[in-house]
Amino acid sequence: MKILGPDLLVFGVDHVPACCEFLIEYGLTPVGVTDQGGRFEAMDGTGVLILSSDDPSLPPALSSGNTIRETIYGVQDAQTLEAVGRELSKDREVRRAADGSLHCTDDLGFAIAFQVTVRKPYAAAATLTNAPGSPPQRGPNQVAVDPDAQIRPRTLSHVVFFVPDAARMEAFYHRLGFRVTDRFTGTGAFMRPEGNADHHALFFIQTPPFMQGCEHFAFHLGGPSDVIQAGSRLVAKGYQSYWGPGRHIFGSNWFWYFNSPMGVHVEYDADMDLHDDAWTPREATIGADASQLFLMQHREKWSPGGPPPA
Amino acid sequence: MSAGTVLCRFDELVDGEARGFDPQKGGQDTLFGVRRGSRLYLYRDLCPHATSPMAWRKDEYLNRRRDRIVCFAHGAQFEIETGRCLLGPCIGQSLQAVAHAIDDRGNVRLV
Ligand code: FES
Repeated sequence: MKILGPDLLVFGVDHVPACCEFLIEYGLTPVGVTDQGGRFEAMDGTGVLILSSDDPSLPPALSSGNTIRETIYGVQDAQTLEAVGRELSKDREVRRAADGSLHCTDDLGFAIAFQVTVRKPYAAAATLTNAPGSPPQRGPNQVAVDPDAQIRPRTLSHVVFFVPDAARMEAFYHRLGFRVTDRFTGTGAFMRPEGNADHHALFFIQTPPFMQGCEHFAFHLGGPSDVIQAGSRLVAKGYQSYWGPGRHIFGSNWFWYFNSPMGVHVEYDADMDLHDDAWTPREATIGADASQLFLMQHREKWSPGGPPPA
Repeated sequence: MSAGTVLCRFDELVDGEARGFDPQKGGQDTLFGVRRGSRLYLYRDLCPHATSPMAWRKDEYLNRRRDRIVCFAHGAQFEIETGRCLLGPCIGQSLQAVAHAIDDRGNVRLV
């Protein structure tokens, strides 16, 4: 089943204007956003939908208070959508919305939906590097750093959930064609859907039931420099860094996590590994040693030799 | 945090709002307070769930109605007066209150 990954994450929040402000600063593009909320899109059309927690169009809230209300997955085509519908109709009610999307709940009660993907083709430059020993990627006079660069999230990368039964989640998404790429022992699995080579579109963290919800989501940026530049801009504006910048081991992606007014972490990531079915999943025990290759904590402006004379 | 450190003047604090403090000048607020009338509720900026700083942006520690403290890492909600977590990942646990006093010049001081 060629599921490509999450197309849209739906949140029901306490403070709609704060969430809208945050997501715009994060770099997403507001589409039809009003003071009631609306959609925030990356370059390929994937995104986040913000609505007030009492909006009647939302699926019910989780009892944990977590603000995630629905994860809408994009699938490759109409045949895949029907195949997903047939599979899930075996043991649960699947509702078809007016726009053709299919809605139900997964085995732990998270609202999920499937639609023919909104992901559209787009072109965006790669970060070019000059590495001695290899042909240069940037020729003479091609300057890499632009302090005013516009940095836009390119595509919705992954979503991570606190779950009371990680094994059950893994088994459920396995039914939909997701593969385990790596695993933290006793915590949960990283999974990628069949239609996406990215190391993970989903990761589960085993927790007590009262914590169930979204832990974080991430959009891919163009490269590590983008992650650090965009994250530094958030820090300079007073946003609260949680973890980063750094580089993960599983997935190899660069990361920087921030607190958000949705009450979930929001991550920038870049340069994630790709996998296919020839890959053998690794296993490790979670902890800073296993989850980060290195961590660079932000500090105030500094230059070698100290500040310039006043 | 040394006793006697002055955080701010009490009358700089906006009634009903929160404010973060960085008494060690480390570039990260480590304390925050919420003023309610003539009282200040002062806590360490350290969520009991994952020992994380809690605001989503400088000084943003409260929900929209300004009647709960929220950890914007994973949404835990706390009672302002007691620091007790009422909902979320650290339900039943509490924020660490920080002893302070308002001196005769109107300064908020750590004690
Ligand atoms: S760190 Fe505060 S709710 Fe998780």
